[in-house]
Amino acid sequence: MVEFTTTVGFEEGLHARPAAELVKVCQKALADIKIIKDDLEVNPKSILGILTLGAAHGDKIKIIVNGADENDVAKNLKAFFNK
Amino acid sequence: MLINEELIVIPVQQKTKEGVIEELAEVALSVGRIADKAQYVAAVLKREEEYSTAVGFHVAIPHGKTDAVTEPFLMYGRVEKVDWNALDGEPVDHVFMIGVPEKEAGSTHLQILAKLSRRLMKEEFRSELTEATNAQAIIDVLKKNELL
Repeated sequence: MVEFTTTVGFEEGLHARPAAELVKVCQKALADIKIIKDDLEVNPKSILGILTLGAAHGDKIKIIVNGADENDVAKNLKAFFNK
Repeated sequence: MLINEELIVIPVQQKTKEGVIEELAEVALSVGRIADKAQYVAAVLKREEEYSTAVGFHVAIPHGKTDAVTEPFLMYGRVEKVDWNALDGEPVDHVFMIGVPEKEAGSTHLQILAKLSRRLMKEEFRSELTEATNAQAIIDVLKKNELL
């Protein structure tokens, strides 16, 4: 299991294009992925799940990746959020 | 109030994604939520070109943030199996269209989307929506689910 915290850097928040791109990154993963913001936990393989977070620019989110390809997936997700 | 009976269209006459957005925008214009229909429609379609706003469960949430919007709004349109270029390939039956002025697009937009998305994940909410056959019934469903 890989766990890390990151900040939403996208100006418009985690919706629109960033959300659509995040779904694509996550759908390629075999591992289970959870994104947690405050007390909400969602599955980012679904666009609706991501939108549910309402994560705005500057919000802190925790990401947990668990599965065979967790290291690669975590690396890709870190790169995604640091873009 | 983000949405009221005037912002609910059942059924939408148009059968294409572009047509549906135009038809709903015409209503938003007629009730004064947008000042410039062409500008608003262009903003919504630009977003749709980048990626589809179909979120699964036969629901699409097109949205436009532009200064053409005079007052933030949420609209509901019942359509019949409209192709929305969805990731899941499924047609859309419910359209929630959002409009937010450019200057306050930051959080208002996200809050509306987040709240609506949370409800849409629940099967019960989706069936209540499907069973509602007129504007008043939709308002009742939204009220019951604290979206209004």
